[in-house]
Amino acid sequence: MKRRTAIQQILILAGGVVLMPSCLKSSGKASIKLEHLDVSLEQENLLADIAETILPKTDTPGAKDLKLHLYVLKMVDDCHPEKDRKAFVQGLDSFQDYCTEKMGAAFARLSAADRERALSSISSEHTGLPVHVKDFFKIMKARCIDGYLNSEYVMSKLVVWELIPGRYNGYFPVKTRTTNG
Amino acid sequence: MANFNIDGKSQQTFDAIVIGSGISGGWAAKEFTGKGLRTLVLERGRDVKHLKDYPTTNMYPYEFPHRGALTEEIKAENPVASRCYAFREDAMHFFVKDKEHPYVQEKPFDWIRGYQVGGKSLLWARQTQRWSDFDFEGPARDDFAVDWPIRYKDLEHWYSYVERFAGIAGNRDGLAELPDGEFLPGFPLNAVEDHFRKVIHSKYTSRKVISARCAHLSQPQAVHLEQGRGKCQNRVLCQRGCPFGGYFSSNAATLPWAEKTGKLTLRPDAIVESIIYDEQQARATGVRVIDAKTKKVTEYFARVIFVNAAALNTNLILLNSTSSRFPQGLGNDSGVLGKYVAFHNYSARIYAEFDGLNQFKTDGRNPAGGGYMPRFRNLLRQETDFKRGYAAGFSAYRGFEPDMSGIGTSLKKNITENNLGPWRVNSHMMGETIPKESNYVRLSRDKKDAWGIPQLQISVSYDDNDAKMKADYLEQLEEMFTVAGFKNIRRDDASQAPGLDIHEMGGARMGHDPQTSVLNKWNQVHACKNVFVTDGACMTSTSTQNPSLTYMALTARAVDYAVAEMKRSNI
Repeated sequence: MKRRTAIQQILILAGGVVLMPSCLKSSGKASIKLEHLDVSLEQENLLADIAETILPKTDTPGAKDLKLHLYVLKMVDDCHPEKDRKAFVQGLDSFQDYCTEKMGAAFARLSAADRERALSSISSEHTGLPVHVKDFFKIMKARCIDGYLNSEYVMSKLVVWELIPGRYNGYFPVKTRTTNG
Repeated sequence: MANFNIDGKSQQTFDAIVIGSGISGGWAAKEFTGKGLRTLVLERGRDVKHLKDYPTTNMYPYEFPHRGALTEEIKAENPVASRCYAFREDAMHFFVKDKEHPYVQEKPFDWIRGYQVGGKSLLWARQTQRWSDFDFEGPARDDFAVDWPIRYKDLEHWYSYVERFAGIAGNRDGLAELPDGEFLPGFPLNAVEDHFRKVIHSKYTSRKVISARCAHLSQPQAVHLEQGRGKCQNRVLCQRGCPFGGYFSSNAATLPWAEKTGKLTLRPDAIVESIIYDEQQARATGVRVIDAKTKKVTEYFARVIFVNAAALNTNLILLNSTSSRFPQGLGNDSGVLGKYVAFHNYSARIYAEFDGLNQFKTDGRNPAGGGYMPRFRNLLRQETDFKRGYAAGFSAYRGFEPDMSGIGTSLKKNITENNLGPWRVNSHMMGETIPKESNYVRLSRDKKDAWGIPQLQISVSYDDNDAKMKADYLEQLEEMFTVAGFKNIRRDDASQAPGLDIHEMGGARMGHDPQTSVLNKWNQVHACKNVFVTDGACMTSTSTQNPSLTYMALTARAVDYAVAEMKRSNI
């Protein structure tokens, strides 16, 4: 596959938004244009790792393949109220420290299993979490799932969304191949 | 009028002028041109050509930057428009943005507008239920508004006439309160909608659940193929404009049909400032138009003028058409113009779940939307402490409800497994509201739009009758849901402002008496015989049915009458 085609396909996978691959950028800012969120390239990479932990690559593409972290940033930046945006950024900031304290190392340096444990603890712990970590993770997880289910890969390969169904059956027996909507 | 243009009067003279290209204006254009009249259609918004100007029609969800959602910025800029269910990333280009065309709300009113060729016919919910005499006789029987000057028999032929051309899917249900029409095959109820139908039919004598009738080509006939339209493909992405012409719109059907006659002149970006009245001839001679872009003023002339600007804008144009003969607005001898505005009360919904029929789901999509319950309240006689009643939508849906707990490989697997939830059911209320003098629109005394035309000031609100009716709807639907075995019933009476129903009607109502109405039984202005109003402004009462089909029938009937009167030299 030619490199140009590959990049184009990634761009399409990411959903028609013009998203520059982060490797082409050298500055410390996030690789996509954001109106409201102040996110560094380092944090963007952390988001990619968190997304990959939430929806890892298996025999099918994972969060990084689908650039879900960029989708999350785009949606939080454009479609969430200011309160959410602030909580997301503050929660992301404090997540690093929380992770280091909890797991003894930065998220990027943890094994896949420990990364999963670090994130799971956010849902299970009710006290002692730094401010907005829970809010951050809630938004992050919900938007990762949303981006995944609405990705071209899932909509064309796993849970097929049809542009032109051409039919309606109100008594469709379950337990056959299923399409969404 | 510094830019007043008096040149080329003959080039600006037509047999008929139609103001507005939406669902009723499109019909006026088709009927006039079909009868050989040179017809000018004036549309205040931009041109939208069928197929060519539907930019999002074939887009997949992942091709939208926000997957269909609105950004916070767009919501903040459009508090009114963004409350409409169809104002989403895929169709917001067909809606008026709040900033572009401000209006004055004396009381909260969500005025949802589509300023473009085709108007809101691109965006409508395509529900097409006929009226019956239970509706036309409503005001006389229940003592409100004024008596309708027509009955079902006056409109029956015209309903059939427009239905055959538009293409209406429905079943012959044999209900006096919702007469059958010229139907293409109906879309079926699904398993749970059907279950509800059976339960309601067996437990109640006068309550019915039928397949909603809708303007979709379930089985196109020759006349539809001749329009270049094809079978509905169950996309249910109608608000984007349909690449198959599967649903009826001015853009897909009436306007191209009119264009083929060679008699149509369509002028987009043409804002009608007023109708010109000539005192000596005692008739309207034409219209004064402001170009939306250049603001240049032009006058167009014709023997007959149809006002189809959408209910409230039709009121605005008539109110703004003043002369020494009509100082309060064209045809407004009675003083009722702009008053007795009514709408449909859509402010209640109810939701529940159903544990049964789990061996079924739906496959594909239903453009009809599901079931329809015609009005049963106070139908044969007065039986409650409120006037009139409500129709109700009813639909059931069963979709994926993936397990979203946890993270990692198990989450990834769970969310794409075909994990069906229970059947979920919902109903929404479509209540008749009573037209009142105190629900009115008028011209703002100080605020003008960008073209120097007074802004419309809207003062419309719910009343005690609406509140009682809404309480009854919720009570009755909860009872029926309980009888049908539905669980976890949730009432939603999160009140929405009038207007969001997008069924505003009246202001230039029809009636027998010029002292109490603006239009006669032919939709003709009592006091200015060559001006007709056949959009929502003409409505004497609202009943409960979605009104567009009735506007279409009234329009075709009025054009037929107007042309006959022109031949008789009466107008």
